[in-house]
Amino acid sequence: MNSITSQSVPHKAPAKKGNFWLRKGNKIAPYFFISPFFIIFGVFGLFPLLFSLYLSFHYWEPAAGLAAMEWVGLENYIFAFQDDWFQKSIYNTGVIALKSGIPQHALAIPLAFFIHTSFTRWRNTVIGVYFIPYITSTVAISLVFTTLFSRDFGMVNQVLTSLGNFTIADMKVLSWIFPVENIDWTRPEYTKDMISFVVFWRYVGWNTVLYLSALQTIPRDLYEAAIIDGANRYQQFRYVTLPMLKPMAFFAVTLTIIGNLQLFEEPFIITGGTGGIDQAGKTAAMHMYITAFVESDFGTASAISWILFMIIAGLTWLNHKVLGGSNH
Amino acid sequence: MITFKKTAVSSLLCTALLSNAAYAEQVEITVSSFPNFNQVAEAAVPLFEAKYPNIKVKIISMAYGDHHNAMTTALATGASLPDVMSVEASYIGRFAQSGGLESLNKAPYNSGEFTDQITPFTLPQATSSNGELRAIPADIGPGALFYRQDTLKEAGVTQADLIKDWDSFIEAGVKIKAKTGNYLLANAVDIKDIYIRANLKNGEGIYFDKDHNILVNSPRFKEAFRLAKAARVAGIDARVGAWSAEWTEGLKRGTISSQMMGAWLGGHLEDWIAPDSTGLWRSSQLPNEAFASWGGSFYAIPVKAKHKPEAWEFIKFMTTTKEIQLLGMKEVNAFPSLISAQDDPFFNEEIAYLGGQKARIEWKASSAKIPTVVMDRYDESARQIINDALEQVLEKDADIDTVLAEAEKQIKRKARRR
Amino acid sequence: MKISIKKDQLVAYVIVALGGVIMLAPFYFMFVFSSHSNSGILSIPPPILFGDFLVENFNTLIDFLPYFWHNISLSLFVAVVVTILNLLFCSLAGYAFAMFDFKGKNFLFVGIMATMLLPPFLGMIPTAMIMSQIGWMNDPKALIIPAACGAMGIFMMRQFIASAIPKELVEAARMDGCKEFKIYYRIIVPLITPAFGTLGLITFIGTWNNFMGPLVVMNDMKMFTVPLALRALQGTGQVPWGAVAVGAAIAVLPLIFLFMMASRRLIDGLTAGAVKG
Repeated sequence: MNSITSQSVPHKAPAKKGNFWLRKGNKIAPYFFISPFFIIFGVFGLFPLLFSLYLSFHYWEPAAGLAAMEWVGLENYIFAFQDDWFQKSIYNTGVIALKSGIPQHALAIPLAFFIHTSFTRWRNTVIGVYFIPYITSTVAISLVFTTLFSRDFGMVNQVLTSLGNFTIADMKVLSWIFPVENIDWTRPEYTKDMISFVVFWRYVGWNTVLYLSALQTIPRDLYEAAIIDGANRYQQFRYVTLPMLKPMAFFAVTLTIIGNLQLFEEPFIITGGTGGIDQAGKTAAMHMYITAFVESDFGTASAISWILFMIIAGLTWLNHKVLGGSNH
Repeated sequence: MITFKKTAVSSLLCTALLSNAAYAEQVEITVSSFPNFNQVAEAAVPLFEAKYPNIKVKIISMAYGDHHNAMTTALATGASLPDVMSVEASYIGRFAQSGGLESLNKAPYNSGEFTDQITPFTLPQATSSNGELRAIPADIGPGALFYRQDTLKEAGVTQADLIKDWDSFIEAGVKIKAKTGNYLLANAVDIKDIYIRANLKNGEGIYFDKDHNILVNSPRFKEAFRLAKAARVAGIDARVGAWSAEWTEGLKRGTISSQMMGAWLGGHLEDWIAPDSTGLWRSSQLPNEAFASWGGSFYAIPVKAKHKPEAWEFIKFMTTTKEIQLLGMKEVNAFPSLISAQDDPFFNEEIAYLGGQKARIEWKASSAKIPTVVMDRYDESARQIINDALEQVLEKDADIDTVLAEAEKQIKRKARRR
Repeated sequence: MKISIKKDQLVAYVIVALGGVIMLAPFYFMFVFSSHSNSGILSIPPPILFGDFLVENFNTLIDFLPYFWHNISLSLFVAVVVTILNLLFCSLAGYAFAMFDFKGKNFLFVGIMATMLLPPFLGMIPTAMIMSQIGWMNDPKALIIPAACGAMGIFMMRQFIASAIPKELVEAARMDGCKEFKIYYRIIVPLITPAFGTLGLITFIGTWNNFMGPLVVMNDMKMFTVPLALRALQGTGQVPWGAVAVGAAIAVLPLIFLFMMASRRLIDGLTAGAVKG
């Protein structure tokens, strides 16, 4: 990150004598060049944030105009914390984050290792196939998934039950893993699994690519040394690859934590904007959206967004302490 | 030649100016709506524009939930507000209390001149707690039970068995399941939904009374929960949510053999859910002498609307013209809120889709028995809390008294700002 | 590879292939469903081969979303304009950070990078309110201006310019009396076209897919972007699944196309931006 900034003080070009504007331009120009970001961020980034902070301490009846704001202190925060719906949404967010996040990394690391070591000609194709979900429209693909997860007419149940009912000599040999009857994925006990799968599907390729880029930086001679020591493929993976992947794992897990805690689009589309039966698929970000734009309580919703932000910041910091501690 | 040209040009200019002036007088009002309520307005617009040549009507329609969310945002931000806003019964409590809609029983509207011609039970729904009428009912939803005649016959069950009382209803469901394999109910939740709406005392709402007291920890809710649980245990519900793909397919294929809802469901069945089942469905009153209002639509004018007088003309046209009210009935089974429309001979006609049944007369008879229902700003929140509570009872065997007491607490917390 | 493939290796190949099928299956079914009627899609078992209902489904889509063409053009317009503005603003800022030394440079740069940590949902509510106050609700400006210069783009541009362009080149041009802006468009711009390509792709895709942004500032169906329009199909009781699939395919096809054209560059750009950030 510091390759440029740490460079020695540049030899100030001895500007042509008397060419005041050229020298001055050199001083002003960079500020001018970076100004668009600061103007835009100031107006549409910073100001909204401050405003939202201000709003979070107020009760506001939107239809009555901006003047109708009423100072309520911490009441919105206290209410949000005590609210069952908020607690439930935080719980849902956590469960979905884990259920989608852990498999993402557990599969992405070996997959990346395998692609790295065993594919040459097909390498880019394989990466592309796994990566393409990441760039597609969440809304479009979540809508497709709602059809695939339909209880009676969905392809997912079709495949699962046909595996579950797979019979050898009158024995349903796979029925202990796969269901024998259609699963109603909109039931509260399955909603989170359905959402987690879609999230997993979308991000597993992304993580694989992150790990691949880290694998490419592991020096070959480390493996050669391991092979000389008689390490087999698994041992190479266990004792060379995994330790070397730790910094990337820290980074990728951080991204997953941040992303999963903000989860909004997938659950929003899959549950039709409601959160599903018993609100089992309602994430914290959705709860914030619904509080503001359905229930018109912008003050409480702002408080929720700040609480959520603090949770994300806290967890990122914790992750830094736990996983990233040794790198610094 | 030159003078001729000049006059030609100036006369052209004149016409242009004149037509411009005429154009300026014409006002375009926007009506926001949702399916299939929008179809009534669409069918009525040519008649309205013929009567009021200076008003043009533009109808914007969005999906039911999206429409109400968009209207909430529009009221909150004041941006892209329509001149006439359609509001469905579930949302009328929240919208009527929000302060973003005009008070129609005051000048210059003075709706009092004609509100006595409207079915009485719907007006309090649109009235704010300080007595201001914020929307005019356009149609009502007398609750009805739709059932598959052929399935009942096959199972040896009669309509009387279905509607005698709730235990008999559930018993009939068990017979149907045993004989035909079909479910009587889409979801056990439906029983609860009818039961909590039925036979309310005057001054009561579904979840709150007119003084904002919470009513959910009561015999009405306990019995509703008990019956829903009994239906679930009996295995007579298909466990699908209304409006899901499984639900529509179940009704289409007859695997779900009855559905309790507003009378307007008949229109949906005939239009798109089960258009091939002509003659197979029947309608009856609800079980156990229950009389309930389910759904209904309203028209309102936002305070920040641009063309209020024209919007008001439109609303009056839609809600107080007998022909238009009947048109709604003919188009989409939107049951007229205007009493005089309910007296039309059209109500005596047979409905081919319902096997020649004169169902409209029956719906009219029920609607006369529906009590006044008070709507509340927090109805939607309460509805969700109650549904979550019932879920606990149906799926996790939770104790009814406990979950309702807990639900009461939750509703109290949610409704913290009055 | 040509020597003997061990048994466990073969198993691994099979697993990777199966995984690939799962990755691609939703796309396949999206196309299959777009060619079947509603009752065809809702049948047991669901269709797995193409049908002949594509045109009807498209007509249904237009029925349900009368402004769909407008929605597509709006999405395209917003995505293109946002992309162009990002290329311009981010490359200017990247150039400044890579080639200049000025007071507060490090501080400002870290500040810009820090804004990447702010979650987008935090600005959702106030942005909607501000847009309504300044009258930008249902106005494409509300989607374009706030997104015109992203921190990630500045970072990518700075990295690329610093690594691809020798400082001496800029110094020499300055000695010749070139004005700063002239240096930018005569020397810098021609040399950073690869970075333009990558950033352009990423920005375009991100904007095209954006859902949360338009969700709170667009509430008029005509002004919906494609994701919003597709979502609007969902709330109707009678969800036209075939039409939904057609709409989804229309939203996804341009992306698949772009991905096939430039998958390497896209993947590298996205990961490099993330990793080094």
